[in-house]
Amino acid sequence: MTNLQTNDPIFDINEVLAQMLGTVKDTVTDNWEEVKSVANEFLNRRKERLELLAELTLTGDLPIEKLKSRLEDEKLVFEAELHAIAIISKAIAQKAANAALDVLYNAIKKIFEIKL
Amino acid sequence: MLLQSRLQIQSLLILLALSLSFISCKVQLVAPYDDGMVQQIETTAKEIDRFYLIMLEVTPEEENGRAYATFQEQYINFEVELNSLLTKNKVKPVNEHSARICEITLQLWRKYKAEHKEQDYLSDGEIKLNRKTFDDLFFAMLSAEKGKQIANNPPE
Repeated sequence: MTNLQTNDPIFDINEVLAQMLGTVKDTVTDNWEEVKSVANEFLNRRKERLELLAELTLTGDLPIEKLKSRLEDEKLVFEAELHAIAIISKAIAQKAANAALDVLYNAIKKIFEIKL
Repeated sequence: MLLQSRLQIQSLLILLALSLSFISCKVQLVAPYDDGMVQQIETTAKEIDRFYLIMLEVTPEEENGRAYATFQEQYINFEVELNSLLTKNKVKPVNEHSARICEITLQLWRKYKAEHKEQDYLSDGEIKLNRKTFDDLFFAMLSAEKGKQIANNPPE
């Protein structure tokens, strides 16, 4: 067993916090493209739906009362898309949080390895 | 002095052991990725797409070719499938977003089914709109489910 001096730098909390923050930042940056590409795809799909609605209304295939009802449905589709984006964002947050906790876990594990 | 140092070290070790047991628990904000669920979503999406395409291409608008009765059984089968997806999503912990996407899909499925039943007819335009709406809802459902894979990937 190594001799333990009480004035030893056992655990540099500032360094560990900096590493944790760096890990969170890297994880979010690495996965941000996923959120962006899905959000862009949702926007394109919304545009196509609205174009189809406009076309059918102009040709008389879709009466105004049905158009109103379809526009109400659009709110629900938008809500569904927001829920999908929320899941992807939360998944990234979960990965970042666990990666940061792993940094802390490893720092504490090192103390056991060095001091015991 | 020596005794005090040992007490400090002991306290520190107990604290570290407690921290260690605490941080070995992982944060969970989303339900785990479920490959079976992805397969079910993809199959249901494909079959609903086929359902509307056949309705559009094969059955005539004229002479009541698109009467509700012709499609009633398929409507029921797909509603059962959507109900099954909703139930599976609801029973999973931290999965309220996926459950809500399923709820919305089921709500619109029932609404469009009721419209078809009431009119006993669907125009080409309505079929195109319904097909597009469900295609987009299933895309949202799949994006959400596949997004959960991000959380499961171990930190680099």
